[in-house]
Parts: sequence; structure tokens; C-alpha cells
Amino acid sequence: MKRRGRGMACMWYPIGFTVAANPSAAVVKVNEDGTATLLTGTVETGQGSLTILAQITAQELGIATDDVHVVSADTDATPMDTGAIASRTTYVTGNAARMAAEKAKLTLFEVAAPLLGVKPTQLEAQDHKIFVKGFPQRNMHIGDVANHARVVSGQPPIGSASFNPETLALDPETGQGKPFGTYVYATQIAEVDVDDETGEVEVIRVVASHDCGTAINPMLVEGQVEGGVAMGVGFALEEEMLFDAQGRHINPNLTNYIMPTSLDTPDIEVDIVDSYDPTGPFGAKGVGEPTLVPTAAAIANAIYDAVGVRITSLPATAEKVCKALQAKREQQPKQIGTGAALDGAASINTAVQ
Amino acid sequence: MVNVTLRVNGETRSASVPPETTLLRLLRDQFNLTGSKLGCDVGDCGACTVIVDGQPVNSCLMLVGQVEGREVLTIEGLANADHLYPLQKLFEHFGSLQCGFCGPGVIMSAKALLDENPDPSTEEIRDALGGNLCRCTGYTKMIEAIKGASCILRGEEAPLVKSA
Amino acid sequence: MAEKPKVIEKPDVLERPDILKPQAPAPLVAFPIEVVVPEGRQQTPAVGQRASRADGRLHGLGQTKYIDDMYFPNMLFAKIKRAGIASARIKNIDTKEAEAMPGVVAVITGRDIPCNSFGPSLKDQPVLADTRVFHAGDGVAAVAAVSEQIATEALEKIKVDYEVLTPVLDPLESLKLETPGVHAPSANIYGHKVIKKGDVEKAFAESDHVFEGTFRTQMVEHVPLEPYACIAQWDANGRVTIYSTLGRITLGRADVARTLGIPMSRIRIVATVVGGNFGGKNEIRAEPAMALLSKKTGRPVKCVFTRSEEFTSSTTRHPLIMDYKTGVTKQGKILGRKIRLVLDGGAYCSWSETTLGKACILSAGPYNIENLYAEAFVVYTNKTMTGAMRGFGAPQVCFAYESHMDDIAKALGIDPLEIRLLNAFDEGSLSPTSQKLHSVVVKESLLRAAKRFGWNGIGDGVGNGNGA
Repeated sequence: MKRRGRGMACMWYPIGFTVAANPSAAVVKVNEDGTATLLTGTVETGQGSLTILAQITAQELGIATDDVHVVSADTDATPMDTGAIASRTTYVTGNAARMAAEKAKLTLFEVAAPLLGVKPTQLEAQDHKIFVKGFPQRNMHIGDVANHARVVSGQPPIGSASFNPETLALDPETGQGKPFGTYVYATQIAEVDVDDETGEVEVIRVVASHDCGTAINPMLVEGQVEGGVAMGVGFALEEEMLFDAQGRHINPNLTNYIMPTSLDTPDIEVDIVDSYDPTGPFGAKGVGEPTLVPTAAAIANAIYDAVGVRITSLPATAEKVCKALQAKREQQPKQIGTGAALDGAASINTAVQ
Repeated sequence: MVNVTLRVNGETRSASVPPETTLLRLLRDQFNLTGSKLGCDVGDCGACTVIVDGQPVNSCLMLVGQVEGREVLTIEGLANADHLYPLQKLFEHFGSLQCGFCGPGVIMSAKALLDENPDPSTEEIRDALGGNLCRCTGYTKMIEAIKGASCILRGEEAPLVKSA
Repeated sequence: MAEKPKVIEKPDVLERPDILKPQAPAPLVAFPIEVVVPEGRQQTPAVGQRASRADGRLHGLGQTKYIDDMYFPNMLFAKIKRAGIASARIKNIDTKEAEAMPGVVAVITGRDIPCNSFGPSLKDQPVLADTRVFHAGDGVAAVAAVSEQIATEALEKIKVDYEVLTPVLDPLESLKLETPGVHAPSANIYGHKVIKKGDVEKAFAESDHVFEGTFRTQMVEHVPLEPYACIAQWDANGRVTIYSTLGRITLGRADVARTLGIPMSRIRIVATVVGGNFGGKNEIRAEPAMALLSKKTGRPVKCVFTRSEEFTSSTTRHPLIMDYKTGVTKQGKILGRKIRLVLDGGAYCSWSETTLGKACILSAGPYNIENLYAEAFVVYTNKTMTGAMRGFGAPQVCFAYESHMDDIAKALGIDPLEIRLLNAFDEGSLSPTSQKLHSVVVKESLLRAAKRFGWNGIGDGVGNGNGA
């Protein structure tokens, strides 16, 4: 019989490396028509980070995402970057890109200021225009300013900058210190059906509420969360690299190493928690890795809710759940976890290995 | 060596290749159609999916000897000089692909589904993508895009991306 | 828009008559030259827009050029011979027969690598194993040939003489001091971390209840859909260009410079499109070997891992064994927590140091716990190296601390949501390392998820989950 259960798990996760410096540098060049090029040493590995970086650069310059071309991942052409790791690209490379764009923008402001009859500090860039703060009708198109910068002022608008999260070393004995610049938080709740005869677990639905600071691009945040939850389902229920007694792989192929297909992936509802981090670019933090962190725990708790067995080792394969159910049936009379067992140190794990 | 002649994306093509050559290798190495990807070479991942005589197949499992005279459609054959194929358009709009490596195979499986079933349910879409592994997306935005494309192909209005 | 593909001339007709040039021009690949730019990409302000990805269209058209889609004139194809033994001493490698095969252009072994070690923290990983094999996926020789098939066939002709050793496979065995060192004379415990705050024993004594639990997680592979690939091209100026599926080109260049003993100015690494990473492509793999094969042959050399190599010879997720002990009040407030983590580090350090640190710091969960003792060890075993993978130990410890949390809630008769809200961080809370936290929204995420889900308590844990 199929039994339904629900379980939750929350988590925290840091952005960037543990104490170690993990800087990113960026260069922004504004073209004569007001479009721009961002040079970054990070790598697009599928997350959409280049789109995010284009959005951050565009926002700072007051232009659209499509106006920014990103050149990436070439050690000859792009500035150093710690890379696509540790959920750091939006926060660290994003800060560098924003600061580089800001420097290019300040050159544009210097060029535009005498033309608009104000000081550079009185200018703002928005919607493809550079305008006087408080007097939006006194404006110039960013392309006209950029062109003037090159052909008249001789000041090509180029900015470069770097960013490294602020950390403090950990005390070697107590581990006390400031290992990371910032953290994100999330909760996932899973609904599962467990077949109490076969032990088979089906994840029906996952609600995922994630904090990423400002969502630079909600669609890409959703994509990260949906992919992370799917990976978490695999971690929870299916995936395991197996070795024989001599230490050789038994299942180094996708026939016997089972990972989630479209049929195993639940309905995923993504909820982006309102949040703003003043240390991130436009308040953004990151979202790549944390999306998978709470999934397995939420599923394990849902399995417990459905059939009352605590899975203590992953993956919770049908065989393992079935075995646990059998063990539970055998021990039914002395079920633990009840009030009487709570005097002093009580183990509430029916260890299932 | 065997000589093989088949139709690829509407054109007749021939090659002379060793008999152990797969359709995938034929497309990639001989015809320079690299849209179909090699992800596992044993039919597990679906990144090499193409349509042969209307049916989606893992081109890594089909030998050249099996494709003589057949009609093969690859990802390169979907768009024309004026338009993206609706699936391609909606996959772009919905951000359905992330790293993109599984994309051509997924789109070909979806195309085969929509050819058979113009108005598939979510379950039917999940079923049709069952042989296409994706590690990035959780399949969610693919399903959304396939539903949207089915609207366009039926002549209805597609639900496009909401802007902020 | 990308250029329309051109027919590429295949080389080596003389060396391998069965590799023929394409007989006719490639079929026309049609695609629209001008297509409307999706709306979100054109809007200002840019931040907050559901802007579609710049690479989305090319992905959908099948025109994104991944490394395996790239071809250079005269290119050779390389394959790597894998040990297939978890622990062994290499007595001799005989490559003569392979080298004599028609179509084989060059063979190298670990002895050809100028500095045969790399790693993001400990430099304990060889490019190709030379004297010792530490896990079954270790490479022992690399072959460059005019076709992938010939390179694969040549692997069979390479004769390696091994003295097979007993592997250490269980991390808890490895932890014991009497267990022979995987990398003797180095100890098996190659990383250790402690987070200490307050007085955990005193907290347990003051607790109404103390709970214990042990949790384990398994080894997992990243499974990017694109297997590892690289192309190395050495030029006459002694400069090498490497196209690689690397997520971290800056580190990659440093590792290539170190292993080849050449200045960084002579190395160009390009990683324009990578077909999935998830942490598995954060360090070099075969790049130095391919660079040397290219140097030796004067031709570009491509290497693409098989799916099997992607499992056996790239990094994986650390399996963890996690012991938790938690003291709480009757109301469910956590007074103290003691944690021991043992990470199975596999054959090489790779990103274990980072994983160890993050796992240890995060292991207490997003909760205010004044008395904490968390200790973590990472040990060598003769298994595939574990390294960076999405979450760096966090999914493992989250599985433990959140399962443990539900066990406590169940035993105390408290709703899982309530016990979390009772203990969760607030703005300004101090983390386990006493870092003052900002923009903390863990409670908001709990409440929002609960509302969205329709959480109204849980079932009775005996199969009548009230979601039914």
C-alpha cells in the first residue's frame, strides 16, 4: 500500500571559499554606441552566470542585458578569476563586474558633466541615458556620451576592478573566526509516496524556498533550484558509486548508476525569499550549490512521516526502505522514540545501514 | 568499409565508412553535423537522439548498416532560414537549457512526441523525455517549453515569458 | 550568429586509408539570421528581469561548439590506459608494442611528465601514475593516434607489470593509526578541523534530554552530460593552447605551468563552453599529458573521456560518516551539540580541505547553539578521489542534522516546523565560528515554504501522513 508523507529541511550555506582568498577581477569596456563588453575569467558551465554578469554590468551602466557582450574563460584575454566554484560567481565576480562598470561609468560622467553643465557627481545612468539627478529631462543618450568620450575627449570609458570577500582566519584550536563573506538560507518541503511492501519511494512534490539575496534573474534562479532539487532526489534515493572488495568500480556507467530522469523528478515549486545583502552586487548573494543541500534531508524526513522508519544512510533505495520496514515490524513492541525512552541519553536511531 | 546512402535533413548523402561506425559518428565525423552529442555511446543518456523515419532513436546505437536509404532528421534540420522551430524558440524563451549538452537530444525527442501527439499532458511529456538525461534543469522548464511549443504547433497562442 | 559550418578536411588518409574525407558537401544547416531578441533581454533596469540566456538559442539549434565538436587539421586522438587496480606498485610499463602499431603516433607515461604532481591544496595527485597506483581509475599511460579507435586498441598493447597491494577501502579503518598508510609515509588522516564554542559537556549535563544518531552518505558522481574533454595544441614558439572543460582556468593554468615546468605566459587555456560542471571540472585532469603529446607529435591532440572514465577517473562526492549528539530542553531548545565527521577522501586530496572545512562549519545547522564541539577528519582510501561537488559536504551534513532534528522533534512531540523556528538563526546571530550573521532569512524561508506547501503539522509516522 502506498503511504504518503511529508518532511522538511532547512539549511544555511556560505558564498565563496573558506577563509582563503578567492578574488575575481573584471574589465568593462563601453563601446561608442553605448553597448558594452565585459571581460571575465569565470566560466559558463551551464548556470547562466554570464547572463547574470551581463545583467549586473547593464544595471550599473543603465543599459539592457542584450547590450552587454561577455567575453569569458580565456587566460590570454580575460582577467583572473577564481572560477565557477563555491556558488561565488554572482557575489564575487558580480561585485567585480559591477565595480568595473562603475569605473567606466564614472569616465562617462566626467565626459558628460560639462556637456550637461553639472558636476560628474550630479549624474546618474538609467534607461540608456545619462541624466542630471532630479532633472531627468536634462539628459544625453549613453551612446552619444560614449562616442564623445572617444572622438572628442579622448577618454575611452574602460573600467577594471577586483573583489575578494572579506574574511578572518579561523583560530586553529577553536575554529573561531569569519570564514565567509555571507551566507544564504533555504527550506525545502517534500511530499512522498512510500510503498510499504516494496519500499519504493516516489517524490511527488517539492516546495523550495530559497534565499539568494536579490534575484538578479528570477528565471535563472528557478532553473538552478529545479536542477538542484532533481540532483537532491538522486542523492536521496538512487545514486551510489559501488566498489567491489578489490576497490574496483562496479557501476561506472549510466545503465547501473541510476540518476533522476524526467519520470523521477517531482513537481518543483520554487519560491524566492525576499532578501537583500548590502555586501553583494545590487543585494545579490548566490544560489548554485544550496539548491540541492536540503533535498535529501526533506525526503528522508518525509519517508519517516510516511512509514515510520528512519533512514540513516543514503541512498534510500527501495531495498533499504523495505529492509527497514521489515526490521520495524519485527521490533514493533519495543518501538523507540516514545517518552519512556527519553530518560538520559537515548538513541532514537533504528540504525539502517 | 561499407558504402551508405541516406537522406539527412532532406538531402541525399553518402559515405564510405567502417562497418562498426554508428549513425552518431557518421553524422558528426563524416557530415560535420555536431549538434547530436556523444554523452555515453551506449544508449543511456539520449544526448544523441535523432529522428529516423519518424521515430526518435539513440543514434549511438544504430550502425550505418541499419540506416541505408532511411530518412534522418537531426537538430540542424529543424529551423529554416526564416524561423526557429517552435521548440527551439520556446526553449530559448523559458531558459529550458542550462549547459545545453542534452538539449539537441531533448528537443528531438520532444519533436517526435509532438508529431505523434499534438497536445500531450505533463505525464506524456515526462514519458517521452524518459530516455534523455539532463543534470542541470530538473526537466521543469523543458516541460513548460514543450507545452508552449505544442500550442504554437496547434496554431494557438503560446504562453511566452512574463517580463518583470 | 555563428558561422555556417564548413566541411573540414580529415587528415591522415595515408596513415589510415579507412578514414576518408567526406564525400560531398555537408547538408545545408539552415537557421534564421535575424530573430527577434526576447523581451527580457531588452528591458531596463536589467536587474530583476527574466532575461533569457545569451547562449540559449545556439543550444537549441545544436550550434554551441563544445570541445568534442571542435576539430583542427591534423588532429590526433588520445586515450588513457587505466590501472584497473586499486593499489599497486608499478614495476614496469612496456609501451613498445603500442608504439609500433600503425596509426599510433606517440605514447607517454608518468615519467615523461616534468613535475608529476598537482592538486588545489596538497599536491598529491599524479597526472599519470608512475611508481604507484592509488586507485583503479589512475591513468598509467596516454596514447595519441590518428583515430580514437586506434588509440583505444593501442591501450591493450601497453603492458604494465604491477605488484598488487592490499587496498584500504573503509574510511573508518583508514582512520585507525595501525592501518597502513595509503600514501605512506604520510598519515591517512590528511585533514582535521575543530570548531569549539562554549562547554558542550556541561550543556549535556544541563539538558533535559540528550539524543544521539549516526548517519552515513554515499559516494556520488557529478554526471555532467558532457564528459571531460580537452584539446592541446603546441606551437613552434613553445606556447601551448589548451581548450578544456575546466570551470577554473586560472588555477588550471597554474597547474599546467607547474606540471610542465613552463612559464604561464606560454600557456593559454580556453573554456568557452562547458557542458555541466557541478564541481567535477574544477581541476586539471589530462591537460598536461595532452600538451606533452602535442609537443611530441607537433599536432593538435584531443582527449575525450568515456562515460566510464568520467566515473572512475574524475572527482566524486565525499561519503561521510556523521555522529551527532544533541542536548535539548523539554521545550526543544538546543543547549549543546557534539559532532564527529569522517570524510572518505579517496586516493587524493583534491578539494577535500575545502569540503572538510565547510562540512565542519555547517554541520551544526542554521541554529543558535551556544555549546558546540564539531570535529572532522578526512582520510585517504584507495578509491576514486573525492573533491568538489555542489555543496562541499553540506548536503551530507544537512541530511544528518535535519534527520536528527526530526528525530528530536518526534521524541519531544513538537512539530518539525516549531522546533526549527525555536532554534533557527536570527539577524545578528553568531555562527558556530562566532561570525555575526547578516541578511539572515532562515525563519522566513521556513514560514514561506510551510505556507506554500500547506504545512499543518505532520502525520503520526506510522503511515497515515496527513498529506494523504
